[in-house]
Amino acid sequence: MTDLLAPPPIPAALKKARDDFPILKREVNGKPLVYLDNAASTQKPQSVIDAITQYYANENSNIHRGVHLLSTEATAAYENARTKLAAYLNANDESEIVFTRGATESINLVAHSFLEPLASAGDEILISHMEHHANIVPWQLLCERTGAVLKVAPIFDNGDLDTDTYISLMGPRTKLAAIVHVSNSIGTVNPIERIIEAAKDRSIPTLIDSAQSIQHMKLDVQELDCDFLVFSGHKMFMPTGIGGLYGKRAKLDSMRPYQGGGDMIANVSFDGTTFKAPPYRFEAGTPHIAGGIGIAAGIDYIESIGRDLICDYETQLIDYAANRLKSTAGVRLIGEPSHRAGAISFVMNSAHAHDIGTILDTEGIAVRSGHHCCEPLMKRFGISATARASIALYNNHEDIDALVESLGKVHQLFG
Amino acid sequence: MNSELKALYRDTLLEHSREPKNNRVLKNADAYFELKNPLCGDLITIYLKVSHCIVSEATFEAQCCSICTASASMLTDQITKSDIEGGIDFADSLIESLLQPGISIANLENEEIQSLAGVKSFPSRIRCATLPWEAFKGAVSRLV
Ligand SMILES: Cc1ncc(COP(=O)(O)O)c(C=O)c1O
Repeated sequence: MTDLLAPPPIPAALKKARDDFPILKREVNGKPLVYLDNAASTQKPQSVIDAITQYYANENSNIHRGVHLLSTEATAAYENARTKLAAYLNANDESEIVFTRGATESINLVAHSFLEPLASAGDEILISHMEHHANIVPWQLLCERTGAVLKVAPIFDNGDLDTDTYISLMGPRTKLAAIVHVSNSIGTVNPIERIIEAAKDRSIPTLIDSAQSIQHMKLDVQELDCDFLVFSGHKMFMPTGIGGLYGKRAKLDSMRPYQGGGDMIANVSFDGTTFKAPPYRFEAGTPHIAGGIGIAAGIDYIESIGRDLICDYETQLIDYAANRLKSTAGVRLIGEPSHRAGAISFVMNSAHAHDIGTILDTEGIAVRSGHHCCEPLMKRFGISATARASIALYNNHEDIDALVESLGKVHQLFG
Repeated sequence: MNSELKALYRDTLLEHSREPKNNRVLKNADAYFELKNPLCGDLITIYLKVSHCIVSEATFEAQCCSICTASASMLTDQITKSDIEGGIDFADSLIESLLQPGISIANLENEEIQSLAGVKSFPSRIRCATLPWEAFKGAVSRLV
């Protein structure tokens, strides 16, 4: 029998990873920082920070417009990020990668440009009970504008999706099936392969929210065969303010522009304006160029370690964390999904999530406390908030041990 | 435990959070007000029963942390039997003294409530202490 409480060994390729992230050397409240709030945002490696600095120091200029050298270099660097993202996700073509501000904007883009022209009163949009507000509210707003109806598939008490019911809710009027790949608050990994398969059988387009999976596992959009997939750079070691939308080219081709402005047009005249082909049709205005350059550097960083290795190690670490927390006095896990990645939510009998967060902070431990932008999910579990620990490739068992030890102090204080 | 944390979780505050006073729904209240801190989801409702401008009964219901619970418990103690105007004045001074670094909470004539002073070293927790008082003001504004 394997010892559930044995700490996972750190693979050689990750032993030095901590040194790559300068912020992990700082102290918080006089204690070494233990950063366990990666689902909110990950830290950035020196190589990403350097790439951004290098851009501003040596290459800064606008893209897609100048003939001068700086502009040509900046354009190449920015488009290089698109190429890398396309390869990272194994997209069929670079034009299937649209840069956005992040997962939230990507979903809003799909709502506005893809779904709204197709949706009429009584049509249905399918989501699950464990979605982030970013995968709820844009659809609600769309329903208000069109009279479409939001259908919400239930989850089980352990935090697993009721996949059979999700699939049974796919009907003749379902215009989109959207689902979070990995829950940001309870860590459930959803069976998106099965969901996409079922949707394809019924000719229903699919959207995968991969904000919490893209940094933890390999994603191959051609193998998955989803229509859309959304993500945020800042949750995968890259800058804030940039992320992306993967969309099948045929779908993107059929879609109307998102915002109007420079860069997205083919010809402008007062008699009528024509638009560029995807992805540029959806990228109005000067983009976050430094962000794109940060994305390219971030992908290089992840690939230098290897996604399979990261996934393997993190799976062991999160299981270790779950097992340690389960055997900690006064702690109750919220959600014990059959397949977990990235995050663990918990509550304590005596102390509220906020009190836990404050006390851990004085110990230098950063966790998130609150509803994690998942109010319907919190309500489903009959609570208003949890404390959440979430990991990234640079975390190790010592971080988890520090967390567990400090929770002992919380238990002592609140009894 | 560091000294700031000790100052935050004083015994008085912990006692109020463990065994809060007047922690129940007040049926046939003259006014109630529900307030939520959207940042964290904390939710509190203050109920008031008032006759001749005097609060005869004040209760609360909450899904919130120890500081918010303790603050609400102390609030109901403080304002019961007080006149509405005095209650509002007290709420205003308390909120101001928690929000303004230069103002001391020690000026408030309620020793138990002074135990909330510890939040001033934890900016992210100040709202936990003020939320019940804001809800109280909301309830008063609903009295006809
Ligand atoms: C599952 C999930 N979806 C969407 C988002 C929204 O991401 P962003 O705020 O970067 O747009 C998040 C962020 O927390 C998330 O965890």
